[in-house]
Amino acid sequence: MFDPKAFIDEQVEAIRGAVKGKAILACSGGVDSTTAAVIASRALGDRLLAVYIDTGLMRKGETQDVDVTLKALRVSHRIVDASDEYFEALKGVTDPERKRHIIGNKFIELFEREATTFGAEVLIQGTIAPDWIESGGQLRDRIKSHHNVAGLPAEMKLRLVEPLRDLYKDEVRKVARALGVRVAERQPFPGPAFAVRVLGEVTPERVAVVREACAIVEEELEAAAGKGLMTLPWQYFAVLLPVQSVGVHGDVRVYGHTVGVRAIESVDGMSGTYSKIPHEVLDRISVRITNEIKSVNRVVYDVSNKPPATIEWE
Amino acid sequence: MRIYVVDNGGQWTHREWRVLKYLGVDTKIVQNDTPAEDLKDLDGLVLSGGAPRVGMDPGKMGRNGEYLDELRQPILGICAGHQFMAMHFGGDAAPAKIPEFGKATLTVHKPDVLFDGLPSTFVVWESHNDEVSVVPKGFVGLASTPDCSVQAMRSADRPLFGLQFHPEVEDTQFGMDIFRNFVRECERLRR
Repeated sequence: MFDPKAFIDEQVEAIRGAVKGKAILACSGGVDSTTAAVIASRALGDRLLAVYIDTGLMRKGETQDVDVTLKALRVSHRIVDASDEYFEALKGVTDPERKRHIIGNKFIELFEREATTFGAEVLIQGTIAPDWIESGGQLRDRIKSHHNVAGLPAEMKLRLVEPLRDLYKDEVRKVARALGVRVAERQPFPGPAFAVRVLGEVTPERVAVVREACAIVEEELEAAAGKGLMTLPWQYFAVLLPVQSVGVHGDVRVYGHTVGVRAIESVDGMSGTYSKIPHEVLDRISVRITNEIKSVNRVVYDVSNKPPATIEWE
Repeated sequence: MRIYVVDNGGQWTHREWRVLKYLGVDTKIVQNDTPAEDLKDLDGLVLSGGAPRVGMDPGKMGRNGEYLDELRQPILGICAGHQFMAMHFGGDAAPAKIPEFGKATLTVHKPDVLFDGLPSTFVVWESHNDEVSVVPKGFVGLASTPDCSVQAMRSADRPLFGLQFHPEVEDTQFGMDIFRNFVRECERLRR
């Protein structure tokens, strides 16, 4: 089967072989990049700088969390606030592939800037197998451009090192547990973050809606799992749909937004079945979203498997 | 035990590699234009699925035909690999009347080594636009789903197997067992 300890030793050696000078590491605070950060930090010590970019598209409390996590793991890191730059670059863009490319390019622009300051020639990423598989190339069709693969510009100054390239999420979690990474069990979150959970144009207002809706989905499902009503799905979140519909608020007509709730069971992200969430839990989610977020008057539940659908909507 | 995976551009090619690795097989993903000569010392070969529509762009299937003609080891064709195998030996593949994506129920009609120890009905994962429409001469159909009659086939006189569904996918029940049976067959024929 898979031996996480042997994998860690192999990769520490491989990184030492591949990086002679300094390296920066792209860290989102998720399982993959945090795990890559700990392995790379073991290999390189203070020749490594982990860089977290606050795109303004992240979950509630995420930036503070990443800081705590990396401090606890003693990985030297830097947090860069770039939210204005991202919203500016995404203005008027509705095509999901264009969003992913803009975000990927922006990441590299910022990482190159940080690398120059730190004196690094190498960029280490927590890319995992589904990222490059779904990004396509040669015979393989492109399902979606993962920002860290197909979102990269054709010409890059930095040399890429990707220690987790051949792993899937379940294997990364095993490595994370072996390394004592606090976020080992955290659900996956897309690199382009809320930009691909807001269908249509990405604005600070629309991102705020989906951020709130996602937080409600997380709170309710985690509470239900805690009470033993269900087991926690592999991934669970909300998307803001580009659809408006008629509703009634206090005897007055409204024409409001629609939120889609998605929860799915998977092992590796390459196939999956939608979660059979108890109706009472869905009911609470619906009531909370439509009451706590005034602009939303309708909630729908996604009952699609992968394939034919993918986990995220964009 | 050395079994390689020929990459025809599938979403799950790397999963096939992972399942073989988990079974302790010495495995590697190779491009489908690798010369057959380089593969002749293997114990078995998997022809992956892929985006190419076998009937419409056979050129994209590289040297799969050479592998089927020149290698004598067991070969397992999956999805596009299975459809290509059917066409190569004189059968046919065509757009499916009802393409299948995701969950389907498989029924095994004819027991065979690949399905050793498995129930006759179980859940499999699908993702195909085309299907085998004519089983080639010398091959027998082994299993079906309600919307696709040739979900599995094998050659009567050579260890060539074709599967339309994806045993490498986590959501396919007994997928690992099907691979284990294939590996065992490769092992048996090596001796």
